[in-house]
Amino acid sequence: MTDLSVDVVVIGGGATGAGVARDVAMRGLSVVLVDRADLGQGTTGRYHGLLHSGGRYVISDPESARECAEENAIITRIHTDAVEQTGGLFVVTPEDSEEYSEGFMAGAAKAHMPAEEITIAQALSREPRLHKGTKRAFAVLDGTVDGWAMVWGAVESAKEHGATVLTYHEVDRIHRVGDRVTAVECVDRKAGGRITIDCRFVINAGGPWAGRIAGFAGCHDVDVVPGRGIMIAMNHRLVNSVVNRCIYPADGDILVPVHTVSIIGTTDVKADDPDNLPIPRNEVQQMLDSGAAMIDGFREARAVHAWSGARPLVKDNRVKATDTRHMSRGMSVLDHLERDDLHGLLTITGGKLTTYRLMAKRIVDIMCEQLGEDRPCTTDQEPVPTSRKTHNYKVTHRLEERDHQFQEDQIICECELMSRQMFTELAEENPDATLDDLRRRLRLGMGPCQGGFCSTRAAGLLCTNGIQDSAGATLELREFMKHRWMGLWPILAGAQVRQTALDEWIMRGTLDIDHAPGDENPPERYPVGVPADSEAVEVAR
Amino acid sequence: MRDVMVIGAGLSGLLAAIRLRQAGLSVALVHKGRGGLQLGQGTVDVLGYRPQRVARPLDELDEFLADQHRASDIAHPYAHTGADAIREGVGYLAELLGEDYLVGDAEVNVALPTAVGALRPTAYYPPSMADGVVSLDPAKPGALRAGSAVVVVGIREFKDFTPELIAGNLALNDLPGGGRLEARADWVSFPARDGEVDSTGLNIARALDDPARRGALVDQLKALGRPGETIALPAVLGHEDPTAFADLRSQVGSPLFEIPVPPPGVPGMRLNDRLTRIAKEARVEVFLGSNVLGADSAGGVLQAGVVGTTGHDTHLKARAFLLAAGGFESGTLELDSYQKVSETILGLPLAIPAGELIHDTWAGQQPLFSVGVATNDDMVVVDPATGEPVYSNLYAAGGVLAGAQRWDEKSGEGIAVASAVRAADAIISNLAGGQR
Repeated sequence: MTDLSVDVVVIGGGATGAGVARDVAMRGLSVVLVDRADLGQGTTGRYHGLLHSGGRYVISDPESARECAEENAIITRIHTDAVEQTGGLFVVTPEDSEEYSEGFMAGAAKAHMPAEEITIAQALSREPRLHKGTKRAFAVLDGTVDGWAMVWGAVESAKEHGATVLTYHEVDRIHRVGDRVTAVECVDRKAGGRITIDCRFVINAGGPWAGRIAGFAGCHDVDVVPGRGIMIAMNHRLVNSVVNRCIYPADGDILVPVHTVSIIGTTDVKADDPDNLPIPRNEVQQMLDSGAAMIDGFREARAVHAWSGARPLVKDNRVKATDTRHMSRGMSVLDHLERDDLHGLLTITGGKLTTYRLMAKRIVDIMCEQLGEDRPCTTDQEPVPTSRKTHNYKVTHRLEERDHQFQEDQIICECELMSRQMFTELAEENPDATLDDLRRRLRLGMGPCQGGFCSTRAAGLLCTNGIQDSAGATLELREFMKHRWMGLWPILAGAQVRQTALDEWIMRGTLDIDHAPGDENPPERYPVGVPADSEAVEVAR
Repeated sequence: MRDVMVIGAGLSGLLAAIRLRQAGLSVALVHKGRGGLQLGQGTVDVLGYRPQRVARPLDELDEFLADQHRASDIAHPYAHTGADAIREGVGYLAELLGEDYLVGDAEVNVALPTAVGALRPTAYYPPSMADGVVSLDPAKPGALRAGSAVVVVGIREFKDFTPELIAGNLALNDLPGGGRLEARADWVSFPARDGEVDSTGLNIARALDDPARRGALVDQLKALGRPGETIALPAVLGHEDPTAFADLRSQVGSPLFEIPVPPPGVPGMRLNDRLTRIAKEARVEVFLGSNVLGADSAGGVLQAGVVGTTGHDTHLKARAFLLAAGGFESGTLELDSYQKVSETILGLPLAIPAGELIHDTWAGQQPLFSVGVATNDDMVVVDPATGEPVYSNLYAAGGVLAGAQRWDEKSGEGIAVASAVRAADAIISNLAGGQR
């Protein structure tokens, strides 16, 4: 049975897939974007939030550096709501040799990337917490980007141009007739049931899962090596601009101020399964040590949350598979026509969040050529619908909004200044959304209390607004706290332990959440990475 | 020189200070901030779960402790205090406060509705919660029983209490004697201050201290209540005026009770204020806002507590010391970024359970929160490695003690009062002995 019929199906709702869907839609083709979970729930959402100036690549990969510099300017312009123009520094810490920094300015000039060396006094006046022993500092145009806001912006734009977006739809079959892809079949994880989408072309933007997806079309041995990296959000903005260690790219070499926190990252370890990414204690310690090289007193600062993401890197025979850092960081396109004699399928992996638009343009160009369509890319021309205002995001913007409505609306999440109206509007627009889905767009529970106060209020609002009954809202509350805990327990120390004690006191002591109606320890409702014909899906039906 | 220096002004510190003072000893009560009472819900828990719900806490204590002993290498505080000290402590507290502040029975638990609609066991509760009591003894029905009708009423300006969530869940609980409650939700509006849409519970409680402000709430409650219904409101019905609740209830003219909400917990603050007043009237010397930075000792005896005061440190001498400063929630216990646990005031050795301190599932009973100081049966702090006193005149009580999972067990106040009374009595007897 056919439920939908379009020109193109894009599989994967991360930055790459969202960018491709937007690009395809803007070229006037009909498109459906599917993801097995929410948008930006994979690698895109498990990111430190850097919008590259190109500085990271001036020496190792000048071509990447030039691309980053160009795309940075475009993304800043078309995604004003997602991008904060923080600026950035490359610093030589007391623990680093000055050798790498010798070539920095020359590399920047070659890549046409704006950069200047500033004095240590100037660097300290910009970032007073910088280590006092900092040896050199270069100012660049790094920015920060909220990956979720960017993806949702791109998707809203795609929808405006006619795209259909199906989240929580997991592809488990790609139909082919002879040497041609004809349709994609998915399981609807929330509502249950299956749908089939007829199409002329499929773009596989499954990131670390792209190999498995290509397999559904009978294209085997697409080897995507997940490079796992952990990131830790520190309470407060320890810095107000991006601080990079001016060394060959290494672990824990960057501290990024995003919204109300600053994020240190990252490690790079080959992972076997992108659905099972641990946050090992030794890597947490490594991040804290690296932070201490850049920032005085870093270890005494408060870590509020950690997460683990998987870079999708296609295996490259030039280096050992276990050493993902030295693989190509550029995008990699697998042309299945050339590789497998199959018409109508392209796989795209790799790349950087900063260059997501450029990657989309390149792969859609290839697709158009194969389809014999002459349709130019226009994605750099217009801001996405969520960005049609003049100014870029600033960390103070919610405070400013609050100033205008503090006598009209309640603050549900004090840490992130999320108001009752923001929450109820989005929840009513998306009645299927879990609290975790809403969190990614509203930052609910992402501040210091990690849901201790706000999650019960949010669950209550779902009930008050008739979106959930009390048992459903209680389930949401439990699941939300369980998910927060995954990123809390590996980093618990100092003041965050004290907060956790208070949260436990409230949740278990005062509310007695463990004995409220419903399953005390409910199974995951929308598990990712579970084969579609498994028991979990049967239950969901 | 004081007889006793008590560190911490939560339930255990306040209660011990009063008891010591009433025995004629001079007491300095030194504390950094307001104590933990205001974080709690104003009830006195003795033992609520082991892990099944406990109906008669003292009768079930031996079995609970036997299970604990099998499961952990660290003794539970109740293993030191025993049931007698719990009886003594809870009785002493109830007598100090009087029936306007606490009612109940240490022998028998009741269940009270929570702000997510669970039925939570406890032993003593403020009279403002009496109309919400569900009995755990099928022979003696409580105020709420099968078929009772409850209207849970939210206040629009107060966000920590959602009547739809609470009423919906309340009606889903199977009552201990069978049957269920009937519950529905409704709302009133009560701006604590003119134009205020986002009020803390404390602000609303303060507004209701003013008798002239109560009418607006009473009128709305009378209009929405149906005959035979019990009204449930967030626990914000008056802060300093102890008659505020009774006045509201009599004006509304139906059964009415408070449900505790997350901090600031007004019922806990009422107890805190009352106990602080009793302590001050008994002439306990209260040093508020004072950090204890360390101590002087000689020959295994503590000599003086070092108190951070303006301009210089004050060495406050005493003959005995009671550490009642709470656990991780107050900052007395700390886990550093290298995963090392320490006691931050006196640097005491800690009893730490074997194995991982934090497990990866959000399921309560985190071993970390059972870390604390070990004591003997007199509540003298001992080195867990040797069992020997760290200092001969240092005692501990309350949340700093090792071995409990207070929030899961619902045992926090019981431990606080039992250990406070046990420690105070040991100090009284030892100092009297020393004088002879």
